[in-house]
Amino acid sequence: MDDDLRLARAVSEAALTTDGVYSLGTGRYVEAATYGPGAKVSGVVVDPDEVRVHIVVRYPLAEPIPALAERVRERVTPSVGGRATTVVVEDLKVVHDESL
Amino acid sequence: MRAFNRIVVILLLAGLFALGVATVVYALDIDPYRLEDFVRTLGLDNFYQGLRNYVQNVENGKIDAFDVVVLGLIALLGLVLLILELKPRTPRRVRMQSGTYITRSAVENEVATAAEQDPEVLQSNVSIKAQRRPGAKVNVRASIRPGEDARSIQSKVRDQVQQHLARVGIPVSNLKVRIFESDPRETKTRVK
Repeated sequence: MDDDLRLARAVSEAALTTDGVYSLGTGRYVEAATYGPGAKVSGVVVDPDEVRVHIVVRYPLAEPIPALAERVRERVTPSVGGRATTVVVEDLKVVHDESL
Repeated sequence: MRAFNRIVVILLLAGLFALGVATVVYALDIDPYRLEDFVRTLGLDNFYQGLRNYVQNVENGKIDAFDVVVLGLIALLGLVLLILELKPRTPRRVRMQSGTYITRSAVENEVATAAEQDPEVLQSNVSIKAQRRPGAKVNVRASIRPGEDARSIQSKVRDQVQQHLARVGIPVSNLKVRIFESDPRETKTRVK
C-alpha cells in the first residue's frame, strides 16, 4: 500500500512537471486517486498491472494532445515499475498568458 | 441494461424483504397470523395447481396457439435480454491512441467552441459518443436565424469542427452537423 502511494506520488510529480500539463484531474464519475493509510494522491490510479494518470491540459496548446500525452507517458514510465501507463485527458484549462 | 438490471434487482430484493418479514410474523404465530395459513394467504395453492394442470396439458399436447405465441415471445425477450447483457459496454472515454483517452466532456467543449466560432451560429448542442475503436462520434445541432443559408453554414461548421479537432489532435470517426432555424429570442446568443 505504501509502495503504491510512493509510486503515485512519483507519477504525480513527473506528470505535473511536464510542459503543457495544467494540473491533475480528479476523475469524472469515480474519484481518480490512490489511497493509503491516512493519505491519498489525486489524479493517479495505481493498479497491479496499470497506472492511470488523469491530466488537465493547459490551453492554448503548444502541440496536439496525443503528442503531449506521449510526453507525459515518457516522463512517468521510469516511475511505474513495468506497469502499463494510461493517460486520460480530463479537461482543457484556458490559461491566459500573463506576459501579455 | 445496467439501469434495467438495477430495477429488477431492487424489485427482487424488496419482494424478498417483504416475504422475509411476513414469514417472521407468521412464524411467531401472532393472532390472527398462523404459519399454517401462510401458503394459503400467498395464494400459492392455486398457483401450484394451475401450473401442474398447465404442464400436464403441454405434456399431453393440449396447447393452444395463444400459448405458443406467448411462450415464443417470452423466449424472444429472453434472447434479446441475453444479447444486450453480453454486449460489451460503450466506453466512457474517447480513445485517442493506444493508452491515451480524453473525456467526452472535454471533446464536447472543444466541438462547441469550434462550432460557435461561426458568427451565424447562435447556439450549438453537442453530443459525443465514445467507441471501442479510436475516435469519437460527434453530433452537432447548430441553431441559426430563420432565412440564413443553412447548407453553406452546415459545411462551414463541419470544416471548422474538423480543422479544430485535427489541430488539437482529437480523432473523429463520424461527424454529423445538423442546422436548425431558431428564434434568436430563444437561443443562448441573440447577436454576434
